[in-house]
Amino acid sequence: MVRGMLQASLEFLKREFFKYYYENISRLVPPEPIRNREFGFFLEKGRGMFRHKCFNSLRDFHEFILNEIPLDIYVSAANYEDPGNRNMSEKKLVNAELFFDIDAESVAIVSEEEPAWICQKCGQHSIGLRDGCPSCGSPTELVRLVSERQLKEALRETEKLIRVLTEDFGIAPENMRVFYSGNRGYHVHVNQEDFLNVTGEGRREIVDYLLIQGLDEKELLIFLKRGMSIGSVSLKGVKRRIYARVVEKAGSVEKLRASRRETVLKMLENVVEELKVRIDPVVTIDMHRLMRMPESINSSSGMVKRRIRLEDLPSFNPLEEAIAFGDEETCLKVKIAPRFSLRGRTFGPFKDEEVELPAYAAVYLICKGLGEYAGR
Amino acid sequence: MTGENILMAARYPFLPEAREFISRNIDLSLESLEKTGSEAALKRAVERVKNALIFKEVKVTALDELNYVREMLSFPIAIILVSMIMNEYIRRMYALGESRGAYRRMLNESDETLLYIGEKMGIRGVPDNENTIRVKIPTYLKLAYSFHAPHWKLVNRAVNNGYVLMGKTEYARLIQVEVNNYVYEKTLEPVPAEAVPNSFKRAVEEIIEVWNRLETGKASRIPLREREDTPPCIDRIIKRMENGENASHFERLVVATFMIARNRSVGEIIEFFSKQPDYKYSVTKYQVEHLAGIRGGGKKYSVPSCRTILTNGLCYPDEYCKGINHPLRYGERNAAGEPRVS
Ligand code: SF4
Ligand SMILES: [Zn+2]
Repeated sequence: MVRGMLQASLEFLKREFFKYYYENISRLVPPEPIRNREFGFFLEKGRGMFRHKCFNSLRDFHEFILNEIPLDIYVSAANYEDPGNRNMSEKKLVNAELFFDIDAESVAIVSEEEPAWICQKCGQHSIGLRDGCPSCGSPTELVRLVSERQLKEALRETEKLIRVLTEDFGIAPENMRVFYSGNRGYHVHVNQEDFLNVTGEGRREIVDYLLIQGLDEKELLIFLKRGMSIGSVSLKGVKRRIYARVVEKAGSVEKLRASRRETVLKMLENVVEELKVRIDPVVTIDMHRLMRMPESINSSSGMVKRRIRLEDLPSFNPLEEAIAFGDEETCLKVKIAPRFSLRGRTFGPFKDEEVELPAYAAVYLICKGLGEYAGR
Repeated sequence: MTGENILMAARYPFLPEAREFISRNIDLSLESLEKTGSEAALKRAVERVKNALIFKEVKVTALDELNYVREMLSFPIAIILVSMIMNEYIRRMYALGESRGAYRRMLNESDETLLYIGEKMGIRGVPDNENTIRVKIPTYLKLAYSFHAPHWKLVNRAVNNGYVLMGKTEYARLIQVEVNNYVYEKTLEPVPAEAVPNSFKRAVEEIIEVWNRLETGKASRIPLREREDTPPCIDRIIKRMENGENASHFERLVVATFMIARNRSVGEIIEFFSKQPDYKYSVTKYQVEHLAGIRGGGKKYSVPSCRTILTNGLCYPDEYCKGINHPLRYGERNAAGEPRVS
């Protein structure tokens, strides 16, 4: 959500957003049936979400967007009998898509770019890594922008998810839709008939499966210690994958047999770390979750939640393909910004300066709360 | 219907066959039940409920099966009787008793029959190699999440291409859960009091009498309270623990997981457990942290389901328990939280 910003910046954003929606409105197609979904919007900065909204037709939905130019658009993963009802239990949940969220942050590597810092007390700021403010000693807030490398890492995680969903859960490719979230991660929507009715408790089990939580290691350990080959163990699913990977890492089953129990246990732990799919558990368990609308703008970055075809996944570059705006030169007052890259170009770092940037980069910094619109 | 099928419908009277047989051959309206010579069926129905209350299992003998009309008819009558009593505990015990009995009988069936019963109960199983049966993941999740043992967790199962693999016994357990759900749901349907024949009312009294006898010496029934957050089963354990009574391992697990689910801190929970006679700080801390997922691989333990609590003899339901399957749902069937966005 857009943080506190000047009116001029907000008006600039709204103009740019309008251009995008005007041109691309036909791409905004909510999941069917539209009249059973709840919609939510952030319409103005600093105001709460406008939600419990429903539409009877795609036309009404598009009209609403072009009239309001929302900063963010959300649609429920669930189908409801009465999606407009303000009381959650009276909405009457019918079923819900499976929804997965992978965040670049949880994938745990840090951007290679030097961050910026802002003192939370006196407001001093600069480029670099500082825990304490040099003038007043107060703690600082670090500003980091997501890097291409982090997003790549998150994309690898998404591919892992897709593999497990396909091989273990039997999800057909045509029932799976993958998106760049528009900011720091990826979303996967699963719309497969038999999974729509899985309850919250069942979804919790799916989450534990993906995160490999609650794994009973006893059986695995016994097989591993006996040095049994993968062909001779009756394992399936995640356990089989773990087993195969441990054997592979050890080099051979003979080596495993010769290893100490603690060593094998340690290897097992490492393999679990490697194989688990780092989804956000809360998102998947919550059937009432509102998902960012596909092909809508994410106002935390000004980029689009973009659909990625499965075959394009390996080569997808969000910092290229999810950009919504043109490159018209725009003047921006930047307080502080670490170096960042978009559309193959590198910008910054900036500190207390007025800079000329292409519109997409200007929108990006404004959405990140790092710059204010100065004119064209 | 072939002879064999009729016997099977008598053995498993929740199967659609039994329902069809009855609706084709017998007028099941309440007014006519008295006239159709259903005396014997009524008697058997009372026995079913008593079996459930006393032995926690409804037994069906070969002789019962041969009396197939009586047997099949006694099942819907027993459900009517249980609904009339309008007592949550009896509803749950009856459902448990029927499902347990069915489970026991299913273990002796051929694979073919077992798969047939499963199919009819909406739990389609596909034979896999070497005595294993495959069940679709969503079907499995719907039934198995309530089991507490680690080997039922999906992460510990053989999962492949949309299916969970299991042995015959486990498959029968899944069917048992579905039978339990089915019977329980049926007993929730209200029975119009005016339409009930007098013989039924007498049968109900007979059941209540047995129940009262079983209850003497036990803690008195939980009176209906103001709606609170804590379900009666857990409230009861907490009260007893507060009095310094020594709680069983399972009781402690229930209370601790419940408190964790309600976001109480580890410190608070340890403090609460400190009243236990065998209290040891380090041990308690270790166990609570384990349950909270702070130790041991980060797996947070969930609160056991109503069925598990019931099986452990700790369910003391009140009216707010009606229709729920998990203590955290207490008082709010179908309720939903405020959604968040992603
Ligand atoms: S919450 Fe469930 S287990 Fe507890 S008393 Fe109610 S029905 Fe029984
Ligand atoms: Zn300072």
